[in-house]
Amino acid sequence: MAVSLSGQIVTADRLNNALKEQQNWLTYWGDYTGIHHRDLKQINTENVKNLRVEWIYQTGEAGSNETTPLVVDGVMYVTAGRGIAMALDAQTGRELWRYKYAPPVGRNFVSSVNRGMAILGSNVYMVTPDSNLLALDAKTGRVVWQSEMAPWVPGVHYATLAPLVVKDKVIVGISGGEQGVRGFIDAYDAASGKRAWRFWTVPLKGEPGGDTWLGDSAQRGGGPVWMTGTYDPKLNLTYWGVGNPGPDLYGDVRKGDNLYSCSLVALDPDTGKLTWHFQFTPHDLHDWDAEETPMLLDLDWRGKPRKLVVQANRNAFFYVLDRETGEFLMGKPFERQTWAKGLDDKGRPILQPNAEPTPEGNRVCPGLAGGANWMAPSYNLDTKLFYFPVREACDVFYSEPPVYVAGKPYWGSVFRGATDEKEWGLLKALDPLTGETKWDFRYYRAPWAGTLSTAGGLVFSGDEDGYLMAFDARTGKNLWKLNTGNRLVSAPISYLVNGKQYITMPSGGAILTFALPD
Amino acid sequence: MHRALLLLFVSVLSAQDPNSGKAIFRSNCAFCHGVTGVGGRGPSLITAKISQGTSDADLKTIIRKGIAGTSMPAFDNLEGDDLDRLVADIRSLAGSGVSDTPVTGDAKHGAEVYARSACGACHRVGNAGSDYGPALTRIGGARSSEYIRQSIVEPSADIPPDYEGVTIVTAQGQKLTGVRVNEDTFSIQLRLQNGRFGLFKKSDLKSVTYEKKSLMPSYEEMAATDLQDLLAYLDTLRGSVAAIDDATRAKGIH
Repeated sequence: MAVSLSGQIVTADRLNNALKEQQNWLTYWGDYTGIHHRDLKQINTENVKNLRVEWIYQTGEAGSNETTPLVVDGVMYVTAGRGIAMALDAQTGRELWRYKYAPPVGRNFVSSVNRGMAILGSNVYMVTPDSNLLALDAKTGRVVWQSEMAPWVPGVHYATLAPLVVKDKVIVGISGGEQGVRGFIDAYDAASGKRAWRFWTVPLKGEPGGDTWLGDSAQRGGGPVWMTGTYDPKLNLTYWGVGNPGPDLYGDVRKGDNLYSCSLVALDPDTGKLTWHFQFTPHDLHDWDAEETPMLLDLDWRGKPRKLVVQANRNAFFYVLDRETGEFLMGKPFERQTWAKGLDDKGRPILQPNAEPTPEGNRVCPGLAGGANWMAPSYNLDTKLFYFPVREACDVFYSEPPVYVAGKPYWGSVFRGATDEKEWGLLKALDPLTGETKWDFRYYRAPWAGTLSTAGGLVFSGDEDGYLMAFDARTGKNLWKLNTGNRLVSAPISYLVNGKQYITMPSGGAILTFALPD
Repeated sequence: MHRALLLLFVSVLSAQDPNSGKAIFRSNCAFCHGVTGVGGRGPSLITAKISQGTSDADLKTIIRKGIAGTSMPAFDNLEGDDLDRLVADIRSLAGSGVSDTPVTGDAKHGAEVYARSACGACHRVGNAGSDYGPALTRIGGARSSEYIRQSIVEPSADIPPDYEGVTIVTAQGQKLTGVRVNEDTFSIQLRLQNGRFGLFKKSDLKSVTYEKKSLMPSYEEMAATDLQDLLAYLDTLRGSVAAIDDATRAKGIH
């Protein structure tokens, strides 16, 4: 397949139709709906046993890399921690350019994690650990513009997510849910870097929702946005998960529901105006961010076609909402949970006693890291199943009245792992229409890696011991595995170059790409 | 790896209240030393031998650098006032609970009890003994005598994570029990009592059973005087191990 250079220019229209470009991976989630699925079947249940490493690229950055690459007409754009970006030949792993962000001297980052890039026109976009948004020339890695999302204060704001491009804007969110920030979602003009709008995830007194915060607690109310949203071009709505309220585990200073923490917000991408919201965990006390992928599915709901948004939430419930209105349709636990008796008909949890953090500690399932987390789920268009990693772990939650000091963590507590039981994990296949488990595969440890589903009848995922694995999407049978030598904390992707199918997964300092033997 | 992750989690939870050494203690130390410092996986800080004759500066060194060759990690995120308050809080623990009474008993006879009971078949002291169970070279400095007593008469009360027992049955029906060295979704590695590794793919095994009880037998029946003498002997074991760096050792921290 000959690729012209003009073919490497990505338009908004191409992004709207990303699922029609099965050879590419044009957005962080692979397309706007977040299904993490590819209609590629060269690698399938019959031959996946022959899958082998095609190339390895060493980023030079130690530690675990949470990035997911983009692939555009044969070029892979990938990041590593501390503001590193690279363009590679997706067929061979050979480097085309490499960029390293040079922050002002003396800045120590709360986190150096980076989860990837967005692309539009001739630019790629990424955030930096000191919460700047960068536009880089996709051909050279040269900085086109740089915009500051939040003024630098040591130990407060930071940014990790892959930006989302919608039409002519680059949409990003801020991290710092443990640092007492007031969260926001920003949109910047893709050409100039000028800020177009800001949506504060934590409203102040006098604003709608501002009365859900005690006193002036909203000023430090958290509500970080550290994962990429999804987008429905027909409804012209973009969907973003909002993180925990702050202080994380001590609620007395912020009595109320604490909107829009632990919520899904549906925004108009042109103006940033809130169209609807749904709060999964009102007045959260367990750090259960709602940052899990808001996946957009068009399914027959109770016999009628309906536009849905689904999420396997950190609080251990799987939710189905109407994505036009935010109406709650279903919520079912997908693993052990000890905090809610159930959900009422509006989806609000009915709380169990003794599930709040206390000075003496209360043991609660799921634990602080949640039953699900930010790792990509996937939806297979053939099996019609939702695949996602499940973390089976409980924690003892302690509380402690906090004092806010800028630049210091603002947890309001300490938690510790329960020592009476080991954590473990599952890869789970769920019917999104019923919440029923169709199969699961048990991991020795609770995983931090996302999933990829393909038309080859496969689900790929990774575990905490470094295995990249392929499963039969219908049965859950493990068909292939390879130990990559580092815990896996990203999600696999798939693409074609010159008609050949590849699977890519970051592991430690390496970007690993797999293919069948020629 | 799991432990490392937990420690990481705990260490990022630094003080939310800068005026409270107790909050810093809870955030960083309580996971091992208990919320009130009475000990758990780590030694009691109320009865810790280390509180005798060590300066604030020494305690800060231990906290910031950890103790090489032990489970005590470095908390180099703590500094300045936070570190001062934490040390003050740890000092206050010493007066709050049980006093550190010296272990009575005949240590010389205790060493004979140790030999007679064949403790060295599983444990190491210095260069003598086996690596099947935990090394006891510095057990007198690392654990309270109450913890050691419990470990002898009721070994299953607290099994260190590195010494969990696993029994496997191979496809051929062979049954083997050992200490788990490592394990993942697809494989398991054991240390066997004969000193060898047992290395298995789980797909080759009929069963993998996690022992709820410690692999160490209980010595509940041991005569009271023998047990007391054995404790007195174990209390004398403050020996340095090669992994403890000289600088730390020079400060009298074992």
